[in-house]
Amino acid sequence: MSNFAFKSIEEAIYMNGHGIYVWVVLAIVIVCLIGAFGHYKIKLRELKKKFNESN
Amino acid sequence: MIKKFIHQFASPKTYLFQVNKLYSYILYSSIFIYALSITWGLLFVPEDFVQGNSFRIIYLHVPASFLSQSLYAAMAIASVTYLVWRVKLAAYLIIAIAPIGAMVTFIALSSGSIWGIPTWGTWWQWDARITSTLILFIMYLGLISLHNSFSNYEKADKLLSWLVIVGFVNIPIIKKSVDWWSTLHQSASITLTNKPSIDPSMLYPLIGSTIGFFGLIICLVIISSKVQIIKRENTKSWIKDYV
Repeated sequence: MSNFAFKSIEEAIYMNGHGIYVWVVLAIVIVCLIGAFGHYKIKLRELKKKFNESN
Repeated sequence: MIKKFIHQFASPKTYLFQVNKLYSYILYSSIFIYALSITWGLLFVPEDFVQGNSFRIIYLHVPASFLSQSLYAAMAIASVTYLVWRVKLAAYLIIAIAPIGAMVTFIALSSGSIWGIPTWGTWWQWDARITSTLILFIMYLGLISLHNSFSNYEKADKLLSWLVIVGFVNIPIIKKSVDWWSTLHQSASITLTNKPSIDPSMLYPLIGSTIGFFGLIICLVIISSKVQIIKRENTKSWIKDYV
């Protein structure tokens, strides 16, 4: 692994003006993944509950 | 013989019990690999000489773009399996993969658009790669809507399988669009036949993020397919042991 590419945390967040693009994309990916896992987990729980109630 | 093999190992029951054993291992190792690779790529890889720090979006965009096409290819394989060998599990997988494919294509399109602002000076351009990827996104949405509009699952599965196979023509178009037409996109930096044109210090976290993202998407497909199996096999006696 290479060294830390920035001089400070602030610089890493700002990324010479490109930070906004990079962090927004990261947020989209995280929200989509957590949202999808959450959605399917809830759906699976509901289906199991419905199945157990009907049997 | 092939038919017997497929039916033995691709029964929804066998699949459900097998993937249940693997799920946690795949999930935790994928989270670890993905988090490590993303941290490496976003904070430790040196700045790109031409694009500056905006190039770091590659670690989020490329895995999504790669998976958006791979998931469609997986749906096409499942469609052929369903139509030729009548494997029910293949039909469940097609509809289980479609929403995840749509989500991954959305990530690819949105991350590409955002990357375009600092790199090309525009968030959207009707060039071959972006347009064919948008068509892929619309195809995923169309397939989901079509399947939901049917009350007869068998008819829906059959029609969906044929449409997936027809739509597969878009995948080589997406792949080759940068070579066939003049587009804003650069040609592929990593190919199977040539040495990668990307520096190893930038390449390794890219490979890691792609493997990690692939694992997470596999986990999503597993949960989504579980939902489909419980929904469609709820009259079978063995499902009680699982639920």
